[in-house]
Amino acid sequence: MGQHDRYDAIVAGAGHNGLTAACYLAKAGLKVLVVEKNDWIGGAAVSRSLHEGWTYSNCSYVCSLLRREIVRDLELPKYGLQVIPYEGGASFSRDGDYFAYMSDHDALRREISRHSAHDADAYDRFSQTVIRQCRFIRPFLLRNAPDPTSLKPRDIGELLFLIRQAHGLGKKELGETLRFWSMSIGDFLDEHFENDLIKAHIAGAGIIGTGLGVYSPGTAYVLLHHYMGDVDGAIGAWGFARGGMGAISNALGACFEEAGGTIVTGSGVDRFLVDNGKVTGVALDNGDEYHAPIVASNMDVKRTFLQHTGQQHLPGDFVKAVKRFKIRGSSGKLNIALDALPEFPAAPKGAPFLRGDLHCAESLNELERAYDDWKEGRWSQNPYFDMLIPSQIDPTMAPPGKHMMTVFVQYAPYDLEVGGVRAGTNWNGQTRGAFADCVFDKLEQACPDIRSKTVHAEIRTPWDIEQEVGLTEGNIFQGELTFDQLLFNRPVPGYAQYDTPIDGMYIVGSSAHPGGGVMAAPGANAAREILRNIGRSGNMTGYAA
Amino acid sequence: MTTPTYDAIVIGAGHNGLAAAATLARKGKSVCVIERNATAGGMARNTTLAGGIKAPEIAHLLYNLHPKVKKELGLGSPRAPLEVRELPAVSLSEDGYHAVIRSGRAELADGRPHPEAAAFDEMMRRLTLFAGLLGQLSTKSPPSLEGGLASLGTLTELAGLAKLGLDLKRMGKKDMREFLRVLLSNAYDLILDDLEDGPLAGALAADAVRGAFAGPRSPGTVFTLMYRLGQGGGAQLPMGGMGAVAAAFEAAARAAGAEIRTGASVARVLTENDRAAGVVLEDGTEISGKAVLSNTGPMAAMMLAGAEHYDVEAVRRMRNQRCKGTAAKVNLVLNAAPVFPGLSPELMAGRLLIAPSTSYVERAFNPTKYGEMPANPVIEAVIPSLTDPEVAGGGRHVLSAVVGSVPYGLEGGWDAAARERLAAATLATLEKYAPGISALVTERQVLSPACIEARTGAPGGHWHHAEIGVDQILTVRPANGMAHYRFGPEGYYLCGAGAHPGGDVTGLAGRNSALQLLKDGVL
Amino acid sequence: MTKHVPIGLIETPFQPRLQALSTAKSWTNWAGYVSPGMLDTVEFEYFAIRNQATLFDISPMHKYRLTGPDALRVVNRLVTRDAAKLRDGRVGYALWCDEEGMVIDDGTLFRFSETDFRLCCQEPMYTWLLDTAWGFDAEITDESDEIAALSLQGPTSFSLLQDAGLEAVAEMKPFDWREIEPDLWVSRTGFTGDLGYELWVPNGKALELWDRLWAAGGPWGLKAIGFDALNICRIEAGFIAAGFDFQPVHTAMRLGRGRSPLELGFGKMVDFTKGHFNGRRALLDQQKNGLRYHLRKIEIGGFKPADGALIYHKKKREVGHVTSGVWSPTTKRNIALAEFKAPFGDGITDDLWAEIYVNEEGQWNKRLVPVTVEDKPFFINSRARATPPRPF
Repeated sequence: MGQHDRYDAIVAGAGHNGLTAACYLAKAGLKVLVVEKNDWIGGAAVSRSLHEGWTYSNCSYVCSLLRREIVRDLELPKYGLQVIPYEGGASFSRDGDYFAYMSDHDALRREISRHSAHDADAYDRFSQTVIRQCRFIRPFLLRNAPDPTSLKPRDIGELLFLIRQAHGLGKKELGETLRFWSMSIGDFLDEHFENDLIKAHIAGAGIIGTGLGVYSPGTAYVLLHHYMGDVDGAIGAWGFARGGMGAISNALGACFEEAGGTIVTGSGVDRFLVDNGKVTGVALDNGDEYHAPIVASNMDVKRTFLQHTGQQHLPGDFVKAVKRFKIRGSSGKLNIALDALPEFPAAPKGAPFLRGDLHCAESLNELERAYDDWKEGRWSQNPYFDMLIPSQIDPTMAPPGKHMMTVFVQYAPYDLEVGGVRAGTNWNGQTRGAFADCVFDKLEQACPDIRSKTVHAEIRTPWDIEQEVGLTEGNIFQGELTFDQLLFNRPVPGYAQYDTPIDGMYIVGSSAHPGGGVMAAPGANAAREILRNIGRSGNMTGYAA
Repeated sequence: MTTPTYDAIVIGAGHNGLAAAATLARKGKSVCVIERNATAGGMARNTTLAGGIKAPEIAHLLYNLHPKVKKELGLGSPRAPLEVRELPAVSLSEDGYHAVIRSGRAELADGRPHPEAAAFDEMMRRLTLFAGLLGQLSTKSPPSLEGGLASLGTLTELAGLAKLGLDLKRMGKKDMREFLRVLLSNAYDLILDDLEDGPLAGALAADAVRGAFAGPRSPGTVFTLMYRLGQGGGAQLPMGGMGAVAAAFEAAARAAGAEIRTGASVARVLTENDRAAGVVLEDGTEISGKAVLSNTGPMAAMMLAGAEHYDVEAVRRMRNQRCKGTAAKVNLVLNAAPVFPGLSPELMAGRLLIAPSTSYVERAFNPTKYGEMPANPVIEAVIPSLTDPEVAGGGRHVLSAVVGSVPYGLEGGWDAAARERLAAATLATLEKYAPGISALVTERQVLSPACIEARTGAPGGHWHHAEIGVDQILTVRPANGMAHYRFGPEGYYLCGAGAHPGGDVTGLAGRNSALQLLKDGVL
Repeated sequence: MTKHVPIGLIETPFQPRLQALSTAKSWTNWAGYVSPGMLDTVEFEYFAIRNQATLFDISPMHKYRLTGPDALRVVNRLVTRDAAKLRDGRVGYALWCDEEGMVIDDGTLFRFSETDFRLCCQEPMYTWLLDTAWGFDAEITDESDEIAALSLQGPTSFSLLQDAGLEAVAEMKPFDWREIEPDLWVSRTGFTGDLGYELWVPNGKALELWDRLWAAGGPWGLKAIGFDALNICRIEAGFIAAGFDFQPVHTAMRLGRGRSPLELGFGKMVDFTKGHFNGRRALLDQQKNGLRYHLRKIEIGGFKPADGALIYHKKKREVGHVTSGVWSPTTKRNIALAEFKAPFGDGITDDLWAEIYVNEEGQWNKRLVPVTVEDKPFFINSRARATPPRPF
């Protein structure tokens, strides 16, 4: 084992949040080291070449939430990041019809009217509500969640900011906001729409990545979590990172290295070194030790504290709270290399909406039943999927004329039930294959020739994602987005400002406020808090300066 | 035809209507309660089965009668007599290791201590503490958010909230944090964070979702559990059946001087210049009053006044209100006391729960979501005749069962065959814990949520008149902008469970609405 | 087979004629339809409105039919004015509000009978009308894609109609409307403040109507026009336009953008005595507690149009902005509609200044010019109201 240089700060994990925090710290003049267990950086924002000629964004696959303040502060476009919006989407029904989401508002109205005249106006009302909620929540993403039990001026200040924002809504809107935040996406959509296909098309955003059903209260917020991003100011728009999601991590990595930072890959943190309640560094799997007075973990809170920190360093209540933090694997993924673009017989040839997110869900009940399966440890027999073919827009993803398809599948359990036993290890070649078959069967509803055009498919279960990326249970948000785990409750009440019971140790991943998605806000906010706590907030660059 | 003029007319003599009438009458107002049915009491009535056997028609136990209401109305005093017996809860287990909850503490049915008694104790301590805290909000109108922070009304409200905040702080950081964490959380996680899944956990899960359109995994069910624990969670059996509770409310109202007309149905509410002016009965009789209070469901109350008196958005909110009842009622007349192996006679007379695990409770709700009949429902049963000889007699007994997870909107509708299927599912479930019980049944009464709606007017047969979801409580109950019992035209008030704080036999909605009316200076 | 919807702008039944006449090739999107911004030049199209006769395709307007025994109750529940006072065969301008008294849209209400109305407006309103009619015995039909309409405006429009064989319009007073021939309804309405008519036909008869008017139009100087010229006239007439002078509240993404009819200056259009209507209680509260804004007609010093200009009190305090501003070629005044924060514009009307930025061949200059609040429309001419109308 080797004794290495001392650093001002060490970041454990080169996910997008870890890299973001590292960038801000390095740009503030700190000597920063990032350690990463994989041979590549990016965590769940990666571009992998797993089949020759093809690039898979094999975890996260589309981009919207990445905060524009951070992109600008870190000059990510300078380091190669290019985000291109995509232009619509569709849900295909078994009877050979479809509902298409179109970016042209008038065409969208016509398309909705084709299914329900009532719902065309209802969609405008729905958008108004959601955009208003987005506008309400966005200012909170790059702020600290106030501790309501604290009397510190800063917490009171943040609390007052929240109250002022809420008061600014006016009584009617405040009432609607309270309802929105506590409703299920199913009930919310039922209040607006009458057409099942349209409801199902929208509802997906309320369950993606969560262990909740469309009729579980709180899923309207989850939808908001997927809508509150933007592409160039178009709230709710999504896009592709050119070259795959790894382009984000690579840009962050390049920014970091140009700011003087060091990245060491290929060996993960074995344990965080703590002395007398104070963090002193990290020991890696390969025996190397690095030392710094500040250590920031990009791992989720369970992995950080239950696997890599000596329990003797932590208060019992804290450990209990971490144990009860819910991180539930609920999503799987297929990354598919295609020999040619599949046919979508229901859609007009070359329809622009085929370049967007495609689904096959027909009703809210279908989605709710998919959730019922998951509760019992089964993958959904009739799964929901969010499928895109980014190679139609991004030429770098597949060889010319060939295509790459990404299929995000909801729900797939982490602890798969086989013969009455629920365990992640039940995911093996056979169960994985059966899961993929189930997804392919449903994909055929939209593109019947999908199997014949597939040249390679990577099957990702929650178990696989946990094993490779390190996300507990393969949960994409590093923790459920329910109210008991948001704001001042995230990840643990009393430790919701990126701090931990260990002096100098911080949480910078999505387990912290404001949560998951490729947003980079937890990383940036954590860096701000670190600099503040060491009295160097004057060195902070960008939005928080 | 000349008719007397009243200060206030109350539509519906459910217990909330009676509480409102009593509260107003006690302040010297002239009040007339108009009830469609032949007897007052709504869901808290008795029914007489063949052979003259008396049974609680729908509700069968008291949980949440609010002490303030009890005191103000004099329930239990000579002018409104009411006698109750505290019952232990027994959560049945197929293996015979039934869990018992007595005065908030867990034990096993065979008298041994429950292995999780300590964890259960701590959980109940927290939950009842939190429930008590929230209970502060139940005895007045919810915060309105009206008028901005500067207005005086809001300041008074803020003072109320500030008191809540202060009490919250007084709990100490740890409990306060826990309160803020679990407030909107789900019962399943809360329970299983501290208890093994089994009958004890199942009992709590079942209490969290009884009557609700939710499974224990649904966020918001910790709130409903706390609602249920508002007065500690203990169940009381009214002597003389649930009808005795209705009779006490009725007696209190009459004693205070309120007039009660039964068998008269209100056709519509009269308004003049956007102000309530009285009611018209189905037979055309007009009764004038300065104020009108409706104990009906919110939508029915709106339609009585006429949708044209409400803004389009308000009507839309009413239409979107979630009120799908999930509780059915099955009353069984037995020719002998059933045998529940493992239960002492004292426990057999208790509140019997079939909710062997939280997973069971969650699974039971699955079919409900799709309008399907549950094969394995959650049941809360009581055999009042074991405690109260007045209820049955001659060796016969009544088993009163609230059967959960029964959809209001059953696929195919609620016909006789569907009720038969429900009875069969109920008996099959009971049979697992009381073998041979089916053979004792001499008569059965099956009331689906649809039947309950037809008999009582409760929308969806829901005893809260509107789902107690976080999106339908406090300031947004019954709907955003209508939280102060004021219901459209001036002088028209909602006084039933659809208003804050919600259902159960608490008497609060009725009492609070009457107090709000007086405060508004309508009379 | 699925009928796929068209992407991009679609055409009204008149598009073949407009297409042929367009030399400017200036098209805009009106509710998803191709609509001319101008066909030739704004200037000559404008003067044709005030001097001759003009045709403007108003087919993209949303048209809804409200029928049934409760139709009048539904209409009265919707709009702020009393539709019971509108006689059969009459048209009324109307506004309608949300529950907070904020204007959802304005439009024209055509009364066939107590059980049959047509509502014509800018914003899609189908679902709102369905919601308004919930619980009532009335049916809502969206006629937007079935009825085509032309607005014939200008001092010679009556003569033109006579020549086209529609002499019966002679007796029609302003805001009258009738079926002048089977399937051809004419209303004496318009958006110019001048003499004019609007003609309504089923889509299938649209081109026939156009050709008939066009054939009669030669002697009367008939010209087809686009929105830009019309917009000048409607400001001269003091008419407000949705999206310009007020934000239809259902389309506002930001809070607080709604305006009440009282704030827009339509207090007379709000009948508090007719019983409840949507937003009534909120409007009563607003009347009691005070308005937040005043939308006023203003005249501005100088000769540069002031669209979008900020308005200051005593050249210092920002108190409002111009919502629509043009140079009025007929009245030779610099006119505008402007929104003031109360009490400015109503209580306080003196010492108001507009800040105008003008680009003079690449050089930007700032001007501070005086603002005068006006009560009356800028363009008033008795020919607009004369019945029977004068020949030109």
